[in-house]
Amino acid sequence: MSDDQPTDEDARTDGTGIVSPDDETPTWRERKERTTGLSRLTYEYFERSRREDQDLRQESDYVERDVLAFPTWPHELVRNLAITSFFVGMILFLGATLPPHLGQPANPSTTPAVILPDWYLYWSFGLLKLSALNPELAILGGQKLLADRTFGVLANVVVVGFIAIVPFLNKGSARRPVEQPFWASVGVMGVVFAFTISAYSAKTHLPLNPHLSFDLAFLIPPMAGAVAYAILKTMREGYMYDLNKRYYKLRPPK
Amino acid sequence: MSDKYPESSGRRRFVKGVVGSAALAGAGTAGTAVLESVTNPTGSGGGQTNYFAVENTAGPAPRGMPMVPIEIDDNGDIKGVFPDVKEVETETGGTKKQARMELGGIEYTPNWYQYCGVQGYGGLRPDYDGDNYFRFSGAGYSWQPSGGKVNIDEFDDYDTWENDYGDAGIGKPAKATWRSQNTDNTIPILIIRSPVLEDRVESAEGEVAEWLEAATDQGVMAIVNKCTHFCCAPQGFRTSNYEGAEDKIYCQCHQSIYDPFSIVKKSFVAFARPEN
Repeated sequence: MSDDQPTDEDARTDGTGIVSPDDETPTWRERKERTTGLSRLTYEYFERSRREDQDLRQESDYVERDVLAFPTWPHELVRNLAITSFFVGMILFLGATLPPHLGQPANPSTTPAVILPDWYLYWSFGLLKLSALNPELAILGGQKLLADRTFGVLANVVVVGFIAIVPFLNKGSARRPVEQPFWASVGVMGVVFAFTISAYSAKTHLPLNPHLSFDLAFLIPPMAGAVAYAILKTMREGYMYDLNKRYYKLRPPK
Repeated sequence: MSDKYPESSGRRRFVKGVVGSAALAGAGTAGTAVLESVTNPTGSGGGQTNYFAVENTAGPAPRGMPMVPIEIDDNGDIKGVFPDVKEVETETGGTKKQARMELGGIEYTPNWYQYCGVQGYGGLRPDYDGDNYFRFSGAGYSWQPSGGKVNIDEFDDYDTWENDYGDAGIGKPAKATWRSQNTDNTIPILIIRSPVLEDRVESAEGEVAEWLEAATDQGVMAIVNKCTHFCCAPQGFRTSNYEGAEDKIYCQCHQSIYDPFSIVKKSFVAFARPEN
């Protein structure tokens, strides 16, 4: 240690101390007034917590345990009971204040003019209407192998199945669309398809020719995906440069 | 578990086998009984049935909707013809009422309408207590009165009537009920009076001509308004512009379309009327 380095006894007042002694912890105002900025502050914060942890482990009565966690009772249960009570209370409150809606019993002799499920099921309802995709097989003499209704249900299985295997195809390590433009555009395609197939499910109420809305339901999503891919790919270089700049400011390369 | 018998005696295995087979036999018996009661038709009527229908021209419906033959009485009130009811002997020696008649060259029975749950409606029973007049029920086209018998005078403007769909003068529709007074369910009926139908009655040939001659009058026809696909009550004649349905009967559920002026002979397997 050279002479111009301050010793531990001297309090350093220039703001470069890595771990401040407890009685000299700078206030937040003082920290903000330092010009070294966020990177320094972050570094100090982690260094401080690391040091505290180290001190704790070096105390004579410290016992290393296999499991360090909160006990179920009372910690976990009290918290869970509080949350449960809140929601049960909300249900009772809403049940007491809002009159229960019981409509007329279904009348088989009349049918409502508009036949649609709840809006969040439109996509599935649209998938039931894919009879135009059900091939008429020449080997069966122009017959369809599956009934249109079976075909529609299978279409639902295929779509839900694809969504289920996506996490296995892509682990989701990217935090931003620009990091993986391909998978981001697959996502854009899926979201847009959810909207277009929903619109197609209400084809009888659209001011469009049903055949046109069917074609659009399948043409718009890949187009949107391609546009998203092009945009993200173009954005990526600049975006990654910006990210890297921030990252290396925080953790300068050795 | 205390077991006085040693494992080697095999007693536990024996008891398990007895109990298990008894349980299995019981479940099998109960299952058979349930299957029997579900699949055994306890009702009357049903079976292979030929009928005259308005043709299904588009959509997923398997066949056309059955027509109801009509008559117009001296007062101008329109009524549907129900097959003549006779007492017939049953196989077990008793008697029962049976509705059956020859009309327009075809055997006309309530079987025509025994699909989609209508087979359980009181109006299809031969012992239904009421008349055969069509009645307005409040629902239907905006021009309709809210109740009362359907009268031919209300269709006087049938060759000029128009609404938002189709050409003026292709016919005037109405929705009504039939044999549905004091019953739990109402039989939905679609009535159309149309000059097109009058032309069809003139130009038809063969068995369809004979049927139309017997089943329509003054251009008035009636149809049981129950879609053969999934049993909706279609919106009706001239209710949609979807895919050329403006001059046809349109079902809003799955876009089945029926052409009321194309009468075809169809067959299907009718359900039996439940006894109770």
